Amino acid sequence: MGAMGYLYWKIVTNHAKTALHKPITYFYLVILVIYFTVVPMSLRMTVELFHGDSAEGLVMVLTVLAFWMIPANLIAYSRRKGLVYRKADVHFLFPAPVRPKLVLLYAYLKTLTVQVILNLFALVYGRVLFHVQMWRLGLYFIFSIFVQNVLEAGIMLLLYGDRRLGERRRALVVKAAYGLAGLLVLLGILAYFQGGMKRETVAGYLLSDRVRMVPVIGWYISVLHLLFLEPVMVDAVGTVCYFLFMAAVLVAAWKLDCTGDFYEDAMKFADDYEEVLESRRQGNIRRKPGRRQKFGRASVHWKGHGAKALFYRQLLEYRKSRYFIFDGSTLAAALGGAGMAYLYIHEGGFGDLETYSAFVLPVVSSYFIFLFTALNGKWAKELLSPYTYLIPDTVFRKLLNATAIQNVQSLVNACLFILPGAIAMGLPFRITALAVLYHVVLSANKLYAYAVAEAVCGSTLGRVGKQMLQLLIQGLAIVMAAMGAVLGMALGDILQAYVLMDVFLVLFTVIFMVIAMLNFYNMEKA
Amino acid sequence: MLEVSGLTKKYGKTLAADQIGFTVPDGKIGILLGPNGAGKSTVIKSIAGLVRYKGSIRIQGRDAGSLEAKRCFAYVPELPYMYDALTVREHLEFIIRAYHADVSEEEVGSLLNRFELMDKQEKLGNELSKGMMQKVSICCALIIKPRVILLDEPMVGLDPAAIRTLKEIILEQKEYGGTILISTHMLEMVKELWDVTFVMDKGRIIGTYPRETAANKDLEELYFSVTGQESGSDLTSKPVNAACDLASTGKKRPLEWEEAGRDRAGENGIGHPDSKTVREAGKDRR
Repeated sequence: MGAMGYLYWKIVTNHAKTALHKPITYFYLVILVIYFTVVPMSLRMTVELFHGDSAEGLVMVLTVLAFWMIPANLIAYSRRKGLVYRKADVHFLFPAPVRPKLVLLYAYLKTLTVQVILNLFALVYGRVLFHVQMWRLGLYFIFSIFVQNVLEAGIMLLLYGDRRLGERRRALVVKAAYGLAGLLVLLGILAYFQGGMKRETVAGYLLSDRVRMVPVIGWYISVLHLLFLEPVMVDAVGTVCYFLFMAAVLVAAWKLDCTGDFYEDAMKFADDYEEVLESRRQGNIRRKPGRRQKFGRASVHWKGHGAKALFYRQLLEYRKSRYFIFDGSTLAAALGGAGMAYLYIHEGGFGDLETYSAFVLPVVSSYFIFLFTALNGKWAKELLSPYTYLIPDTVFRKLLNATAIQNVQSLVNACLFILPGAIAMGLPFRITALAVLYHVVLSANKLYAYAVAEAVCGSTLGRVGKQMLQLLIQGLAIVMAAMGAVLGMALGDILQAYVLMDVFLVLFTVIFMVIAMLNFYNMEKA
Repeated sequence: MLEVSGLTKKYGKTLAADQIGFTVPDGKIGILLGPNGAGKSTVIKSIAGLVRYKGSIRIQGRDAGSLEAKRCFAYVPELPYMYDALTVREHLEFIIRAYHADVSEEEVGSLLNRFELMDKQEKLGNELSKGMMQKVSICCALIIKPRVILLDEPMVGLDPAAIRTLKEIILEQKEYGGTILISTHMLEMVKELWDVTFVMDKGRIIGTYPRETAANKDLEELYFSVTGQESGSDLTSKPVNAACDLASTGKKRPLEWEEAGRDRAGENGIGHPDSKTVREAGKDRR
């Protein structure tokens, strides 16, 4: 076995061996099996509802994926950010006497496992949801794994490996990819003007000849038509174009004199990628691979001392950030709030659920906070920083100061999320205020739950283990709040239900705040 | 032999290396010195083939980017990064395969023994301490029996025993005719090793000093005199070579030293590259 084969094989088998020794792997496997079985079943209803339970439906889904994936991959390879190398590759692999083409193919091969899994999903979904014959799905699997990957690997080699293809020419490829995507959007707009916003228009557009005539993307879609539907002339022409294009790419890739010219870009991306991974582990979602986080100039007037320093340091960091304390969750809250208000007005209420409409907001709030569980912001960073524990101040003040700005952020999100819906529903001011309070307290609960999970799990259960515990604590908090609401409704009216719901939630959160403080204290002493 | 000539590297508008040229002949140990930001890392990354550059780098007379040159070249980066899922032994096995190295079991065992890694062979990369990683990194470099070896801050993280072992190995490599280039700030650690020192500042080589020319000069004194920086232990000390007039500007090149180095280079091959390699300067490599 050659060096690259050895490296790939050892990494895969050692990862598998290590995973098999961890109990959490079996838990994931169970989740995966459930996901494999439950999701297709639940999606089945949706697909049938939209009359998409046929081979045409599958082709439409794959067409949409192609619209997204093919230009995205072209752009990523052109910018030399499509392959992930680790720092160990930079250390051992790049200086080694291994042909750079092999180094590229090795990185590409690493993506293959995910592709096989995704295509297995396609097989299951194709059979269960779209009732496509197995032999057609089998052919698609072979085409997707072998043919499409060979073409993509060829394109990748050309874009990464050809040093004659300078930065300017690669920028042209990026523009061309955007051009193709733009052409598809234009065709979509044309279809909309011709047929209006109807299911038939969307289907007609996705299955249209015009889309199949778009270079590269359309040719790939032609092959899909040939595999799954009754072939027509345009499919045959598109398929021929696809294979001619593939032959040209492969010949060019074969002849390519690939030097290690791309190592510099790959090294930068490897550094960046690992930094982003580390940032994400610490809850910073603003860092994105390939893009340096930009900071402006700012200052704060430092007041007080001890734990106050945490607050002012965070404030300074936020001031230097482009969007201050606002991030993706703020945008999601604004969109969610507007969406709820729109739905309520458009649908004229919640139908059968109208009696409980006042509780829709806290339920959706809970779901919203659940969705953003993994994002613990600066708080997660504080917990990982040894300086937090070294600051000579009380645990309570540290906790308070380190989470203060995030609580303000939660308040802003709560207002954006709750107010539009509350206004649309005509909820009284006091109930609206209590709904906002619910959102803020549940968000705070998430932070304390994270501190508890961090202390309890340490490094034994990993990141996912911590998230599971955090979710469990949040789930319990929601159950407690729900019990308060039920009790309140039994004792009086909606207002009392809201009051008790918030009281129960606040009490539960305070308990976890104290537990978090105790754990914090123990960590300080450790 | 390691020959660098006309090496120029820009990061955007920043000129990180400006017409760098030096040669480390067979059987000699070169030391690359310079303050932070002087461009040492850029030179090292260029030699290791990790960045694009203009100019010429030759390893044993071959273009540094060629597979033949890479086969006889080893690189120990400043910060070691291991494959999380590979054991120490598997790291070595991968390197042996990648370099087509002809290495016996005994040789592998002997190297691991010298760095006290024998009982760590089955440890995974993510189970190693920083110091252990550095030892593995050095072992991976040495296992291929390189003709040219590039060490970037190799002593950092090593325990005293490992530092002593590494020094012994470096001297052994020199004895066998190997070419060694070390970039370090730990001047004390390399004071008995060096044959020629290259001092860099602001992307340029500001001085080339063969040991014979430096006579009784201590490496640390030499460094401070050339760079114009002041020693932390003696902030009032003056540069050794007052004629260089570097302390005030940090720009003027130490002509006396340079000339002396050039003369010596004629004798023993150390210093500036020969005309053959100079001719290749300016050529856009890779």
